[in-house]
Amino acid sequence: MAETKRKHRVLVVEDENNIALALEFLMTRDGYEHTRIADGAEAMDSIRNLRPDLVLLDVMLPGASGYEICQSVRLDPTLANVKILMMTARGSAIERRKGLVVGADGFITKPFEVKELREEVRRLLEMAPDLGK
Amino acid sequence: MLTGLSLRIRVFLFFVALALGILIALGVGLGLGYRRLADPGSLSAFVQSGIVAGFITLGLVAWVWFLFDANVAKPIDILSGALRARAHSDVTSEMDVAMARYLGDLAPAATAAAHRLAETRGALALSVMRETQRLSEEKTRLETLLSDVPVGVLLCSSDHTLAFYNSQASDLLATGTAPGLDRKLFDYLRAGPVRHAHDRLIATGDPDAATDLLCTTIAGARVLSARMRLTHGARGSASGYVLTLRDVTADLSTHARREALLSEVFDRLRRPAANLSTLLAVIPEGQAGPGPLDGALREEVSALALAVNELSRRHEEAGQDGWQLVQTRASDLAEGLKARLETGGVRLKVTTSDLLLRCNGFEIISLLDGIALHLGRDSGAADLSLRIEEEDSGAMIRLCWAGKPLSIRDLDHWLDEPLDRLVPEIACQSVLISHGTELWPEPQAEGRQSVCLPIRQARRATARPKPVIRTVVYDFDLLSRARADKVAETALDGLTYVVFDTETTGLLPQQGDEIVQLAAVRIVNGRRVEGEVFDTLVNPRRSIPLSSTEVHGITEAMVADAPEVDEVLRRFHKFAEGAVLIAHNAPFDMQFLRRREARLGLAFDHAVLDTVLLSAVVYGQHETHSLDALTHRLGITIPEADRHTAIGDTVATADAFLKLMPVLQGRGLKTFGNVLSEVRKHGRLLKDLN
Repeated sequence: MAETKRKHRVLVVEDENNIALALEFLMTRDGYEHTRIADGAEAMDSIRNLRPDLVLLDVMLPGASGYEICQSVRLDPTLANVKILMMTARGSAIERRKGLVVGADGFITKPFEVKELREEVRRLLEMAPDLGK
Repeated sequence: MLTGLSLRIRVFLFFVALALGILIALGVGLGLGYRRLADPGSLSAFVQSGIVAGFITLGLVAWVWFLFDANVAKPIDILSGALRARAHSDVTSEMDVAMARYLGDLAPAATAAAHRLAETRGALALSVMRETQRLSEEKTRLETLLSDVPVGVLLCSSDHTLAFYNSQASDLLATGTAPGLDRKLFDYLRAGPVRHAHDRLIATGDPDAATDLLCTTIAGARVLSARMRLTHGARGSASGYVLTLRDVTADLSTHARREALLSEVFDRLRRPAANLSTLLAVIPEGQAGPGPLDGALREEVSALALAVNELSRRHEEAGQDGWQLVQTRASDLAEGLKARLETGGVRLKVTTSDLLLRCNGFEIISLLDGIALHLGRDSGAADLSLRIEEEDSGAMIRLCWAGKPLSIRDLDHWLDEPLDRLVPEIACQSVLISHGTELWPEPQAEGRQSVCLPIRQARRATARPKPVIRTVVYDFDLLSRARADKVAETALDGLTYVVFDTETTGLLPQQGDEIVQLAAVRIVNGRRVEGEVFDTLVNPRRSIPLSSTEVHGITEAMVADAPEVDEVLRRFHKFAEGAVLIAHNAPFDMQFLRRREARLGLAFDHAVLDTVLLSAVVYGQHETHSLDALTHRLGITIPEADRHTAIGDTVATADAFLKLMPVLQGRGLKTFGNVLSEVRKHGRLLKDLN
């Protein structure tokens, strides 16, 4: 069963190399396919091409803000299955609310515990329709 | 020697002397006649006729004296009293001429003189009035100005006595009882910093110097930031000062909280950071650390992450981004935006809850104005509406429209534009930062779109508190007054008086009657101070007989929630501190105060004046001295609704006293001591309390 099931694809949109490195390491360890981009302006093209199951999306990005990317994804009906987990270093209640309003499925504040992040990722991917069938 | 006695007693003594003289003359005449006749048998006839003649003479003399007293001496006394009143006070009512009809032209002449006096006064008053009116208009403007400046302003004499304060100062200082003129500033503020600042300024010798200080209120320990500037006395002698006050308690505690948080941030971040760099330094580069080192690294990292998250959460909870923002009414925001948009030809429908938002109204309006204009111009939005509603502990401002959804890209571009064309360096984005908030588009029902702007702190606007008298209270004469230490040697108009009246359950305090209402006003430098009124119902903790309720109209239900006697007397004692007490029929009212002294641990040992006795001094003992009669004589009217209310009677008594004062001074009774010794002569009328 496991071999027939396609691996979940995760897109990491993060401009800070060190945290991106850690996230990629974590994604590999948990057995997800992953791609990383650093520029917000490229994000929409990458999402359309890759059709990831989950986007780990930083809020503060060069090129386009995480909110903007999130809103664009939600306005494209062909990307309805893409889950978005936003990450921010500020993370006030108002930012969290803005993130959820513009269409994020989860919101996580940096620095985060790895355990917390893994649980959130797993939760969102389980919500996604099983693509392996 | 006889001139010291009153006119009526002198007249009486004359008649007594006359009667004695006639009796002696009669006796001597009859004695001589008897001796000439030398008839012992006629003695009884002489004695008999002597007694008859004597009684007739006495009767005649007594009758004539009575007529003389009733129609000459007494009217003269009354007439002179009435003239005195007119000479020294502005009594304008007609004099009673009928009672002096046997005095020939004296009464009409006195009336004519009084009329002439009134006319002259009138002419003088008219010219004075114009000038006074101009001055009072200027004064009113000054008062309005000072009552509306957003800082407390107070003026003190060189001995730190309050001569002026505006309502903001009263709010800042008072916390409970209103401050009073002629009170020491140090009843309200701690003395140390104020004295130091005053000395400092005097030492500089620079008349224009000002100094900043922090002072603390006695009640509530509020910290006030103050600026002191000297005022210049007329003779350039001891200088009083102006103190402007601002409450910085909240600022200081916010500052202290931020400082504490900041130092905790450094403390909790420094240690894990230092530990991490040490741990990493001992692990050879490119290699994994041995087990214990690895464990230590993880421990430090998780402590660091935990600290950062917790501290930033606390920072957010404290809501410190908004500390410089002010309470702004939601409807004011909405109407302000509406007006701004209308000048650009855009119509806006507004719906607001009754909320006070903690924000910078100008910035929020400018921000929304810019967005609304962009929406109309760039996105073709129509049918704009604004909604401000309560949400969590804050409020949500929603600008809604019919049309296309708004992209965050466009919104972000708009936010990068300057808030105001004239101030290009401030971007709209900075408004969001200073309010610690975000702005986002959100679809609404019925295909409408919106931009949401949460405001972190808001509260429901509650009903405005009962309006207090928002005026400044002042008496600049306090600054120049020569203050005597002993009350007895103080000029009558140099004293501070508290005029008071009580309504009670009955007339017998020794049989358990109690106060049900107590009212008082203060008189400073010969003026009743409008803002300084003490007026309260009192719960007597016993029933109020119907007969008493019929007099003062106070029922048991009305006093059920009123403070009790002890508390009210304590407050009254504070209110009357340092003043001379005045009441109409003072012994009655004083009984109710003094019998509580032991229990309260307070002494009502004030000097006391009684307007009944003052009335007797001025009008003579033969007049009636009820409050109604006294006020009638002085041309004071008590509105019927106020009669037999404590405050109504108090104000009437105070006004009567103010009119009696110049009369007393006209009689040469210039000091309190003079008045007191004169009053004691009428002590038989009432027991003098001093």
